[in-house]
This record gives sequence, structure tokens and C-alpha cells, in this order.
Amino acid sequence: MTPGDIIKQARAEGTRTLSEYRSKQVLAAYGVPVTREIIARDPGDAARAAQEIGFPVVLKGSAPDLAHKTEAGLVEIGLPDTESVAAASARLWPLLPEGGGLLVQEMAAGKREFLVGMTRDAQYGPCVTFGLGGIFAEALNDTVLRLAPVSEREALAMMDEIRAKALLGPVRGLPAVDRPALARAITGVSAAALAHPEITEIDINPVIIADDRPIAVDALVVLA
Amino acid sequence: MLDAMIRARSVAIVGASQKKNEVGGDKLGTVALNYLLAHGYAGKVYPVNPKETEIRGLTCYPSVTDIPDDIDLALIAVPAKASVAVMKDCGAKGVKTAIVLASGFSEAGEPQLEADLIAAAKAGGVRFCGPNTNGMISIVGDMVCCTSMVCAMPRFNKGDIAFLTQSGAVGGSMLGTGNEEQGGFSHWISVGNEADLQVADYLDYLADDPDTKVIAMFIEGIRDPDKFTRACAKAARAGKPVVVYKIGLSDVSAAAAASHTGAMVGSNAVFDAVCRKYGVVRVEDAADLLPTAITFSRLLDKLPKGPNMGLIGPSGGICGVCADECHRFGLDVPELPQAAQETLKQFIPPFGALRNPIDVTQQIRSSPTGYQDTIRTVLEQDMIDGVFLLVTMVGEPRASFYCDIFTEAARATDKPVIIAWTGAQSLAAQAIPQIKRNQIPIYFSARGAVRAMRALLDYRRFLDARDVEADQ
Repeated sequence: MTPGDIIKQARAEGTRTLSEYRSKQVLAAYGVPVTREIIARDPGDAARAAQEIGFPVVLKGSAPDLAHKTEAGLVEIGLPDTESVAAASARLWPLLPEGGGLLVQEMAAGKREFLVGMTRDAQYGPCVTFGLGGIFAEALNDTVLRLAPVSEREALAMMDEIRAKALLGPVRGLPAVDRPALARAITGVSAAALAHPEITEIDINPVIIADDRPIAVDALVVLA
Repeated sequence: MLDAMIRARSVAIVGASQKKNEVGGDKLGTVALNYLLAHGYAGKVYPVNPKETEIRGLTCYPSVTDIPDDIDLALIAVPAKASVAVMKDCGAKGVKTAIVLASGFSEAGEPQLEADLIAAAKAGGVRFCGPNTNGMISIVGDMVCCTSMVCAMPRFNKGDIAFLTQSGAVGGSMLGTGNEEQGGFSHWISVGNEADLQVADYLDYLADDPDTKVIAMFIEGIRDPDKFTRACAKAARAGKPVVVYKIGLSDVSAAAAASHTGAMVGSNAVFDAVCRKYGVVRVEDAADLLPTAITFSRLLDKLPKGPNMGLIGPSGGICGVCADECHRFGLDVPELPQAAQETLKQFIPPFGALRNPIDVTQQIRSSPTGYQDTIRTVLEQDMIDGVFLLVTMVGEPRASFYCDIFTEAARATDKPVIIAWTGAQSLAAQAIPQIKRNQIPIYFSARGAVRAMRALLDYRRFLDARDVEADQ
């Protein structure tokens, strides 16, 4: 499905908040690097999907308007083999809302977490945010903001403006972040916002840096 | 259209009177007339008042429609309700533009009266400034159509800074202090309620205005963001820096937002992003607005190519202060090449410092040309993009000697030179005013000087990046 189709379908279903899976499909279409993932529609599917993606994997409950999966106990991480996936799937399945599925996702492991987001200002239109992500994001509020469209050059400049910019370089034995790839997450969000005025907010948090590779691990697209 | 207002060849002043107001002062229209005449306006002036025949030796007409001449600009200085009727007369007469001084419109809970004023202007084809304004001044045109007390200054310095203000009172104060700093101005416009002409309209005009090179704005809020950003982009294309102070730093939290990003973004950050995108120079301190605009005006053709600064001062202390401020604001203080240090060794006493910052010591006084030679040598280094001249305690006549050599050095180079004069100003009573008259940027703290240099560098980088993107 194209991003337009996904949005159209969500609207037809009366959904404002796209599921993580659909959100990432929309963003990936605009160049945002996202986790490899497959949606399992029945309990047996999950193990097969995990084999296809490769271990370890993450299992997440997936349904429209399901924004806080961790708080709802709908996430299992670091599942190393078929047996653990089957067991986790059996535990999670009864907790899912009607029509939900299980998202089987590559386990992107990394210590560094950033966020990329978009809000629509009533006066100036889409604004793209980049900053420190993860659980400290709101407490530290280390973000910078640009009006869309954001060029690659601007996206690269944004990275040098956060207080925690040292995290992007080689730091404490970790390699330098692949900045052009991280810039694609920023320019991708900008492009998605410009292409789809019906998107009011985008939140990619965290973008985990696995070795040097930025990857959108969780994402949320909110419609008007 | 705005030419008719800003370069008006004929002005009608409606509401000028020989009578005094309730407290024995001049009426608003008379105040405006007096200022207009005092500042030497060369165009035609027509007072309008149905009850009088002559004011200040000028024939007074009962109505705008009775004036036997074309009118470019009507200054409407009557109360709010009467302003609507006068606006209708202006339309009937074919007056091109107007300034409506009165308050008592939308800002005072009378939106209908303002709607009536707009309707009258539209029907008559009159474009107008205000209401609720204290007017406009074309400094280069010697045309003062303004009631602000600042017009009691005997003269304004002509120059290339245009000033738009959404607060007449603050704008008037800044024009006054800006003149005392020897800033030079092209036009000053108090935009009032912007019922018709908005900040963005004036900005759009000024971007094309041959008399204007720098635009300063005191902003409370932007009414039409699209028009505003288009005008900012136009000013950027023209290479005219727009320097803005905007009130409303405190964010209204976007509590209703569904996402984390939404909850973290505030309107202040958005306006910052707007400024960055269009190269608008935003100052955080209102007191910096005019000084920054003045510095841009003085150094627009000498913007620093990079962050490498030379620091020259008579004490290790002030050199250290300035180096710290450079660090704080992201400017570099690189060590000078060995050859340059060898050269400087000839000019500077042995207990000075040559690496950069350059401490010439108080002992440099014993050398007639050591200071000049030092400054010249530093400015000649390819690696140096700009220079700070630091001054501590110095009195006359030495202070005036500094004024002369600093001026000469600043004028001889194509790099920006900014003075940080941190000693008692009263001991340099001739030097400091002369430095200002010489149009050499001077600040009274290292931080002020460094912050200004940083703003120049940011603007230069904006222009460079814009050129790079245009080439791609």
C-alpha cells in the first residue's frame, strides 16, 4: 500500500493514530530507516515471522489507537529463539484489543537514542524536531526545530545544535553515528509532512543507533 | 502604493488647530504639524479644520475635499469615531494614503469601529497605517508625520536603517537612543493596529527601498505568516539583514498534543525556526535591537568570513574576559602564526602576550606607533576573520588617540573591527562620542561586542548557505 492508501484506509476506519506498523510504512516510503518487521495475524504466525526476520526479535502488540504499548504490558524484547517467541506470543495474544495483531520486529540494540518528530504550527505549518530521545527526552528537552522543508544540509546542521551532540561522534567505544542516514530520518519526516497535510503529528522515538546505524524503533503518525 | 506614504509630496493634517486641549497643550494634529515643519519637510502641507482658516501661517481647509491639490498622505488626527468620516472624505478626494492616529478601535474593544474604518478606506481606495499609531517618519525624506515625543529631538541622523515597530512608545524610545548612538535611519514606522497595512507590507516595500540596507523590527505578533515569511525571504534575497526583537518568549505549552514531540514544541522555538530559515537576526534583549541593527549597518560590507578572532587589549584580564566570551558564543581565538608573533615582538614590550589574545600591556604607551602596528599586523593575518579592540581604563587625551588609531585601522581593513570599551566613559568624554560619529562599532562590555560579532557571522553564514543551495 502507498502512504496515501494507508492514510485513506485509516480514515475510513475512523482511526486518528496509525498503528506503529502503519506509521513506519508511511515513514519508510519517505526514506526514514525503520526496523524490519512483520505483522502476525494469528499466534502461530509470530514464530514464522521471527525466523524470517532473524533472532533476536521484539514482539509488540499492534492495533490502531494503541499509543502506549509498554505501559500496557504489550512489549517483549530480546526474544532469542522460536520457543521464546511462541511463549511470548501466547502470553500477549489474549491482551490484544479486538482486531489487533502482533508486530514481530528486528531487535535494534544500541545505547544511543534520538527522536525525530513533526508538529504543525497553526501559523507556520510543519515544524520538524530532532533531539535526544528515549525515556529522558521530555525531562531534558534537548531538541532543535526547523520549518519544513528541511534539506539534507539543514538536517546535518541540526545534529550539531543539540547539547548532547557529543553522543553523535565516536564516544565511549561507540562508533560515530552514520549522519547521512540519520539525516534521512529528518528529511523523510519533513517530506511526509509536506506530502500529507492530513498528518498533524509525527513522533519517532526512539531512533536507536545500532552500532553506527540509526533505525526508527517506534513511530507514531497522528492524523487530523 | 507605499511610495505615496513614505515619499509623500503633499500632506494634509486633519485636526490641526490653534486651540489648546483641555490641559492647555497642543492638540495631537498640531503637535504633528509642528514636528513636520520643525524637521524641514519640503513638500506641501495642508492643515484641515472646519473651524479655522489659518494655522502656523498655512491656509486651513474645512475638509480634505476642499484642498486644491492632489494629496499623497493624510494624517488623520481626530478622535476614533470622527476618523471614519474623515476617511470617507479622503476616499472622495482621491487621497492615496493615510495615517490614522486615534486609539479607541479594536485594541479598546471596538472592532466594529475598526471595521467601519477599513470599509471606508477600501471604498475610497485609500491605503492606511494604523489606527492606534503615533505615525511614521521618513528620516531621509525629512518628513515627520508623527506625534512621538522623540520628534522633539532637533534632528535625526540619516542613514540606511529602517525601523518597524508594533509599539509606538518602545519604537520612539529606541529611535531616540539609536540616534544618540549615532545610528543612521531611513524610515521609522509605528504600524499600530495594522487594520490595513501590516508589518509584512512595509517589510516588502523596504526590501526594495534603495535608501534602506538594514531593517529593525520590534514585534509583538505576526498577523499574516505567509505574507511575513515572503517579505523576509525578499529581504534576504536583497541581502538586507532583518533584525528582530519579539516579545512573548514564554511558551504556552502544547498540552493537548498527542505525541511527545507535540508536547515539547513551543511557539518560541517555532519563531526561532522561522528566523533561522529566512536569515532573520533575532536578539534576545530588547536593548540589543538598535545597537545590533546599527552594527549591521556599519559592517554590512565587512561581514566576518569565519569564526577566527584577533583580540588586542592592554591587560591580560580583559583579554581573558573577551576570550571567554568568544568561547561562550562559538567564536575561535586561534594562535597567530609564528612569523606574525615574531613581527609583533618588535612592537610589544617583552612581558606582553603575542599568541592571541594579544596583550600589548600598558607599557605600549611609550611607543608612538606600537599600538597601530600591532592592530595592522593582526588584521593582515589571513587566518583572522575579525578583530576586537579591548579598552580598559584610559582617559583623555590618550582616549582620543585611541579613537583616532582605532578609526584608522577599522577603515583601512575589509574585516570587521568592534571595540569593547570597558573603562569609565566619563574619562573618555571626547573619544567615545567621536568613535560613534566615526561609525566604528563600540560596545561597553566584551560580551556585547562578541555577541554582535557572532550575529554578523551567523548572517554571513546564512548568505553563504543560501548561495550554495541556489547553486545546487
